[in-house]
Parts: sequence; structure tokens; C-alpha cells
Amino acid sequence: MSARTINFTLNGQAVSTAIEPHRNLVELLQRFDLLGARESCGQGLCGCCTVLVDGVAVSGCLYFAVWVDGKSVSTVEHLDADGALSNVQQAFIDCGAFQCGFCTPGFVLMTHQLLKDCPDPSDEDIRDYLAGNLCRCAAYPEIIEAVKRAAKAAT
Amino acid sequence: MIPFEMVEPRSLEEAVALLDPTETTIRAVAGGTALMLMMKAGVFQPTRLVCLHRIEPEHARITLTEAGELRIGAMASLSEVEKDSNVAARLPVLKNALRRLSNPRVRNVARVGGALAHGDPHMDLPPVLAALGARVTINGPNTSRELPLLELFAGYYETVLEKNELITAVTVPQLHDRKSAYIKVTSRSADDWPAVGVAVTFSLHDGVLRDPIVVVSAATEKVTRLAGAEQVLQGAAIDDAVLRRAGDAAAAEASVLADAHGSAAYKRELLRVYLRRAVRQALDESTPQVRQ
Repeated sequence: MSARTINFTLNGQAVSTAIEPHRNLVELLQRFDLLGARESCGQGLCGCCTVLVDGVAVSGCLYFAVWVDGKSVSTVEHLDADGALSNVQQAFIDCGAFQCGFCTPGFVLMTHQLLKDCPDPSDEDIRDYLAGNLCRCAAYPEIIEAVKRAAKAAT
Repeated sequence: MIPFEMVEPRSLEEAVALLDPTETTIRAVAGGTALMLMMKAGVFQPTRLVCLHRIEPEHARITLTEAGELRIGAMASLSEVEKDSNVAARLPVLKNALRRLSNPRVRNVARVGGALAHGDPHMDLPPVLAALGARVTINGPNTSRELPLLELFAGYYETVLEKNELITAVTVPQLHDRKSAYIKVTSRSADDWPAVGVAVTFSLHDGVLRDPIVVVSAATEKVTRLAGAEQVLQGAAIDDAVLRRAGDAAAAEASVLADAHGSAAYKRELLRVYLRRAVRQALDESTPQVRQ
């Protein structure tokens, strides 16, 4: 079926592109050379494709690209737009909260979402928000430490 | 995924008109999180998707009716229900079920109407809402009808919806002083689809259990009410012997299916045990129900 032209805000910039209805949001971002959101499990389970649409975290692999028409999309690449790493990014580095780094963009964006909703998260809140993110290097203890450190840095 | 036509109507009326009463490859999509999995797996290949996300915003509203019932618009996201203050205050069993449903990203996108219309027996909302006595409002071309939610489910991934009908709302009666619990058992990983789900609601007067609703999901081809187990519980003072008999009745009457989550015999044993635990959990409401 034919491509459709969509207009949306991507990391603060108004953009326009033509895309077919069967493409997902990760495929759309790849066209803009944004590779931080990765389609990994393809089923919304692993969190590697986390993207914010109008400030709400979604799995890019389970979200139709054309649905972002008229909306605002933010990716991990936008977190240091002002030239400095975000609190969360810095905390992940300080705690060594990754090994290979493949899952890190998803964890970082979900942590931003968590701290937006719960600035002082309980262990239960942390588990709830990050339950759908998988780290195959199993850096979970360091990730949880980084989340707590980022929460502390923000207050 | 194989290419298809996508339409994004601006109104419910337009959406219904874009569906087709006979064509199975034309389907409505609410959040799409479940349907996209089917499309990626190649088990569903649409010719046209009627996306509902741009219809009137009133269909996503969650309101308290004058009768004290909670009316949830079909396009409300699962997150919106989870975070709704009336749900937290009046239907904690629903909030608790949602917090253990998939993950926050899926809950942000998946819609209540889609979770019901999909007819998937493994989902969490159907058994919980069924045990709460919920009703669904269904709109078609110039028609509107209301059904008890349990009557929506016709079989494995099958509902009684006509192909050009849409669920527009689900109405949940007041729980009043009824006790409630929902437990799902995931046999592989915590975030997996369940091997069995059990939802119960009942009243308790002077230690005697009244008007139980017992619903099983995931282990059966559709969300099913278990009349035999209810009969054992009705009018009983709860002790271990009664609970054992109720679990036995449930295991005997449920038509259990084997799948990757467990054999039929294993799931039947889970049902026997978790029915008892669900009743106990409902009785002991001071126990936090978010994680089992």
C-alpha cells in the first residue's frame, strides 16, 4: 500500500516524511539515523525499543509509525540536547550500570519516565517500571543503584 | 508485516461504517499491542485496519455514574484505568491486576476495549472484570446493546461481536462490601502469559460466604464461570475443608487445555490450589495483592 506523508516533532524539530502503514516506529526512527531505539524481542517485552510519544513511554516495535502524525516523539538521543548528559545518563555511568550497553537506551528512558511519575520511587515502583526491560548482561543491581542515584541527584 | 490499508476515522460512526459485516481481513485496532503480535507472527494478515485512536475523546473517559458504577470508555488505556482515583478507591482488585499486567509501555498503549474484544483467554482484564459483574456496551451501525461481559466470550479468541460492531464501554457495578481477589500463575517468567488465572468476588455475612462469582481464565478456551465451585462456597463458613472441596469442584468442572505454559493435568492442579488461595486472599484484604 502506498506511503503516507506524516508530520511530527522529532526530538524538538518539526519533521515530515512519507512512510507505509505497515512500518513501526523503530523503522521510522531508523530513517532519521536514530539508532538508540532497537527492535530486539519485537514483542514489547524487552524494552530496547522504548520511545516517548507525547511524553509517554511506548514500545516502538508495537507502535505503528503513522500514528505519530501530529505528535511529539523523543528518543534517547535527545536527552543531552542541551550539551550535558541527563541526571539519569550520568548516574548510569557513575554506577557502571551496563556492560554491552545494548539495552541501556531503553533502561535510561524508562528511568526518566519513572522519575517523572514518582520522583522518590520505592523499590516496588522501580520494579514496576523496569519489569519490562531486560538486560542480558544482568547488570540489574547496578541499574537499580543508578536509578536511586538519579532520583537523589534530582531532588 | 505484509502491507495493508490503514484508515483513521475521526468518529465512532465513521469507524463502524468502515468495518465490514462479512470480511474477516478488515479489523478495528484500538492500541494494537496484541494485534501487531499476531500480524508479526503472520497469523493475521489484514487488508484494512480501522484505527480507533482518533475517534471522539469521550470514548476514552472514565466516569462514575449516578448509580455509583464505574463506566470505562473502551478507548481508555490500561494505564489510565490503573491510575484512576475512583478505581484505586473502589476497585483495588482491578488496580492490582493492572500493575502486574505486562509492563508500563504496553499498558500505556493497550486499550480496555481491545483487551476485551481480542477474546484472548490469557489476558487479565476479562476474568477480573467478569468476576466484578461488568457489562459491555456494544455499538454497530445504528444499534447499541449491552451484554454481561461473560456472554461476550464465545471461544478461543472468539467473541459474539459482529464484524461491524465495536465495544464502546465497560460498566463495573459497585463492589460495596464484596470481597475480591485475582491471582494469575505464570509458570515460566513473571511477565509471561499466565498458565491459569482465578478471579473471585463474594459477600461475607457473619463468617458465611454469599453470592460467590468464581471465574477461571488462561487454562480454559475462554473466560469461564465455575458454577460447581460457587455452589460449594455458597452459604459456607470458610475453613480448609470447604476450600479444598471448592478447589476440587473447580478442577473437576473446568475444561482445561494444555499449552506451552503447562499440561492440562498441571494446570488443573494449579486451579485446585489457586482457587483456595484466591478465596483466602480475598478474605485477608490487609495482605498486599500487588505481588504474589
